[in-house]
Amino acid sequence: MFKKILIANRGEIACRVINTCRDMGIKTVAVYSDADEKAIHVFSADQSVYLGASEPSMSYLDMDKIIDAAKKTGAEAIHPGYGFLAENPLFAEKCEKEGVVFIGPPCSVIKNLGDKITSRKIMIDSGIPVTPGLTSTEADFSVMIIEAEKIGYPVLIKATAGGGGKGIRIVNSSEEMEEACSSASREALNAFGNNEIYLEKFFTKARHIEFQILADKYGNIIHLMDRECSVQRRHQKIIEEAPSSVLSNLLREEMGDIAVAAAKASGYVNAGTVEFLLDENNNFYFLEINTRLQVEHPVTEMIIGIDLVKHQIEIAYGNTLSLKQEDIIAKGHSIECRIYAEDPEKNFFPSPGKIDFLKEPSGPGIRNDCGVYTGFEVPVDYDPILSKLIVYAETRDQAINKMIKALKDYIILGIKTPIEFMIDVLDSKPFRNSEVFTDFIETHFSEWKKDMTFANIAGFAFIIDGLSGSKTQSAGLSQEEDLSPWQTLGNWK
Amino acid sequence: MEYNLNIDEEKVLVDALISEQKIEAKIGDDDYNISFSSISDNQIYLVVNGQGVNAYVCDTEDGKTIIIDGRAFFVQDADLLEQNSTRKKTALNKPSEVTPPMPAVVIVVSVKTGDRVESGQGVVVVSAMKMETTLFAPYAGIVKKINVNEGDKVMPGDILVDIEKEEETLAES
Repeated sequence: MFKKILIANRGEIACRVINTCRDMGIKTVAVYSDADEKAIHVFSADQSVYLGASEPSMSYLDMDKIIDAAKKTGAEAIHPGYGFLAENPLFAEKCEKEGVVFIGPPCSVIKNLGDKITSRKIMIDSGIPVTPGLTSTEADFSVMIIEAEKIGYPVLIKATAGGGGKGIRIVNSSEEMEEACSSASREALNAFGNNEIYLEKFFTKARHIEFQILADKYGNIIHLMDRECSVQRRHQKIIEEAPSSVLSNLLREEMGDIAVAAAKASGYVNAGTVEFLLDENNNFYFLEINTRLQVEHPVTEMIIGIDLVKHQIEIAYGNTLSLKQEDIIAKGHSIECRIYAEDPEKNFFPSPGKIDFLKEPSGPGIRNDCGVYTGFEVPVDYDPILSKLIVYAETRDQAINKMIKALKDYIILGIKTPIEFMIDVLDSKPFRNSEVFTDFIETHFSEWKKDMTFANIAGFAFIIDGLSGSKTQSAGLSQEEDLSPWQTLGNWK
Repeated sequence: MEYNLNIDEEKVLVDALISEQKIEAKIGDDDYNISFSSISDNQIYLVVNGQGVNAYVCDTEDGKTIIIDGRAFFVQDADLLEQNSTRKKTALNKPSEVTPPMPAVVIVVSVKTGDRVESGQGVVVVSAMKMETTLFAPYAGIVKKINVNEGDKVMPGDILVDIEKEEETLAES
């Protein structure tokens, strides 16, 4: 097995990978930028290497610096996490050339599947159903309008290099087309360095269902059941669960087989995710294959009872897949909530800043993959994910209740989070009844107002907090730093 | 003692009789019997009319954020705010401006000096944490000055575009 792995990422996912490496007895190397000098992944690893300035292009996206760091520290392999270089074929290629193992699919596979147009073509050739729309990129918005009229509005303008909800626009009529095309194209250029866009049908009442797959280098491919990720804001998932509550066993089997076929068609190796849209009539359409470890991979780990990162590492090392399809049995129900630094009352706008206080929830069936701590300054430079809260229980209902409890026990002060919004989503009738489509938040929570039941008690807490002498003089904080503990201790009760 | 609080911008008048670790309070017609203990700098355990509640507290610039049962409330002392209002008045009286809500990078400036803009018209697109946001003209008027270039890093409070308000053009000049 590898002796040492470099993790080319930050925050919670870097910590997640470090944890598995430790379980496997593999040493770890973290990398970091200026903004992350005090980030948790840096001091969780055995070694760390400074990359450069906070701008991703100067640090987490600088391929040469990262490969150089791996060589200097003697790391034999690089785990890219998700985001940053995870789906960059050039990076995978460079690793191959430099003799460092890239923990992910071969660069040709990343390249083909990362281009949504190429991947659509591969799937169509293999008889896999794809969403109606273009099979080539289009720069002329008037051509987009013609195509949209053929398949009917609303349509989706998508970046061919897209991901993470960036470079996507919904278009409801021909008047919106020009602006949508130019802004999607611009956002795509910024996020992915590629401004190409295409068009596909937008399903207003659809569910997002995806299948986890694992494939080794010797042609063995299995799927690890499904996840449902229909609760989205800005086309980005925020609540995910496994298994989907709407798939019949027959449909699950059929989609699973197609997922494996899609992976085979693309020559897939390592862990990946085959994404589908499921419409109201149980028709499903291939969306894309994500060639990385997904943010929501823990819900699969919970119901199948495996460590996906461990399998990724073993596959990358060249081991044969140790699991067979018949070994995969789902048990219970798991839900994940993505905790971002963002303000649910201001359209989920990012809310970076210093975390003044953090208390993580705990208890049976509760897992928090966390990348922050009390005192950490959430940088503005990166995706504002703080942690992923995951619960596991025997049934979906129990999992929902457990998640609500866990969210209520999760205290983050100093920055805004969607925790209370999520409590209300989980507790809502449509969510409990699994009436969850990708337009869930717009439909049920666009006018969300927070619950004021405890407002008066908050007032009492305010009064009490102002009473005790210990911390009321927050204005004089600068002086406090000079005091010895013996002087300040006097006020502690 | 009377407290004049703003709880999430709602005015709440609390009449409180405070003794050692106990408060008898009245809000409107409701009576509250409260005992409490400070668990840490950020945690207070309250028993309100027999019901135990944990409150998590942190100070902010002009108030406190308090989380109870997963709900975050922003609480301010309205009287204290009144006293400080002279200091803040200038800031409050300023018209709303074209300024980013957080540190960001300017992607597009879609107006030029001399342009007439409508209230709510997009004038600058900024990107923060890889998200694009359009900043809108707060009122109708004439663009007097563009203070930024595409690619500039900008902070909240930076005025990206000066717009002279339409109705006030005459009055001011």
